[in-house]
Amino acid sequence: MSRYLRIGARFARNGLVRELSFRTNFVVTVLSEVMWLGMMLIFVEIIFANTKNVRGWDNHQYLFLLGTHFVISSIFETFFFGNLQRLSELIRTGGLDFVLLKPASPQFLLSFERVDYSSCANALLGVSLCVYAAQKLGVHIGALNVALFVLLVLSGVATLYALMFIFSTSSVWFIRQTSAAHFWFYLTSCAKYPAEIYQPLARGVLWFALTFVIPVLIVANLPANAMVRQGQFHPWLVGYALFAAAVLVILSSVIFRWALRWYRSASS
Amino acid sequence: MRKYWCVFKIALADRFVYRADFFIATFLRFTPIITTIALWSAVYAGGADRRIGNLTYGEMVSYYLVVMIARAFGSMPGLASGLAKDIREGELRRFIIQPVNYVIYHLHLRMAHKSVYFVMATVPYALVFWWCRAYLPGWPAADQWAPVLLTLVLSFFLGFLINIAVGLLSFWFLEVTSFLFIFMVSQYFLSGHQFPLTMLPDGLREAVTCLPFAYETFYPVMVVLGKCSTAEAWRIVGVQALWIAVLAAVVSFGWKRGLRRYAAFGG
Repeated sequence: MSRYLRIGARFARNGLVRELSFRTNFVVTVLSEVMWLGMMLIFVEIIFANTKNVRGWDNHQYLFLLGTHFVISSIFETFFFGNLQRLSELIRTGGLDFVLLKPASPQFLLSFERVDYSSCANALLGVSLCVYAAQKLGVHIGALNVALFVLLVLSGVATLYALMFIFSTSSVWFIRQTSAAHFWFYLTSCAKYPAEIYQPLARGVLWFALTFVIPVLIVANLPANAMVRQGQFHPWLVGYALFAAAVLVILSSVIFRWALRWYRSASS
Repeated sequence: MRKYWCVFKIALADRFVYRADFFIATFLRFTPIITTIALWSAVYAGGADRRIGNLTYGEMVSYYLVVMIARAFGSMPGLASGLAKDIREGELRRFIIQPVNYVIYHLHLRMAHKSVYFVMATVPYALVFWWCRAYLPGWPAADQWAPVLLTLVLSFFLGFLINIAVGLLSFWFLEVTSFLFIFMVSQYFLSGHQFPLTMLPDGLREAVTCLPFAYETFYPVMVVLGKCSTAEAWRIVGVQALWIAVLAAVVSFGWKRGLRRYAAFGG
């Protein structure tokens, strides 16, 4: 265990060195995220200029959801996005050999090697949006509900991590895959909206599938509900979120080890 | 010309190799439209006002459906970043010593990709459009067919040139990944991909429609949906052609200036 902590610390340090050697990149990345958030806020403004609530979410609750989504995706992008994007590429080019030869868990090495600090700053944007929305809603911010929020956010990150890891691993079967970046875009474009909007579609089948089979809808919705829509939140959902995250992470590891049997180490 | 025909044929064959990947990609591409329909049906249900951005609910859904067609023509995934990578890593030198023009070479690659895409995506698109047929306005009128087809084809060339122009920045800046992200974000919103530009406040809309992005998606979609008169449709086609001419000039100028700075890194 302590060995993995040491490796993790080394990865974190390497990331910092890389970040400090491209300082303008840091500024531009933050700037681009501010822009993305700005555009999303305009979109939310346009929606709520035309309606008072979206399936039970009012303007500020929706903003809180958006902030939560921003926090979760920033944490994910800081630690995992670059790594998982690289995984498909390593499988395709045969570069995975070098990881498999190392005396440590390949899934650990593949998942944590690169830390992208510039995405980390965006989590602050998300937190600011959440605090702003919570204050507008008059929600009391205390130790207990913040702890619950953090727990659900982390389990959301773990859920997304496992889904993306499984997707990237499947490159073993579908060579030269649609990039992980696209899959990430589709996942988040689904997850950042209120779960309730999916309920009327296809008699709720879609909502069911996105909540219980590929549970992207619980990722940002649950922490937001726990904080600003307590009427819609039940304590057993915490259990479900943790259970789903744990099952998916274990599944990702099982699938990865199984997929390695098909890995052909193709390279030129 | 024959060498580019070869490029076209090779790229065509290459596309057919990764069929599983293709079907996954096509399937995934339909997921955002489901979310969009779900979201807008919620918005239209919540408010008493039944016209938003001058569009009814049915028109809103058909807007997003046709956006998918326009994007199928105009989107160029990986083009700008690929060019940036070729410049950064010195790959461009292959094209400098070969009698092949990089831009025309890539134009043929993209034409081949699009041809395969249109052939293979017809069935899934037809299914989705048939399923949503209640929202669609019907086929274009007889005198609208020419501008409808032209505007889509021109949006392919426009998308291609915009991406090449942005990729050329790499001649001047070593690391452009974040610039490319900013570009992608702007394109997503300013082209009308995220929401119809008619929803913007007047001043902002006028500013946004002065940029070429609106002619990549928003205006072609309006033409396809029959939301503008035939004369207006032809005017849009004309402005598209104008933007293409301007961007072609920018690309050709930028390319020449860029090559003078180019250092062919890598070994």
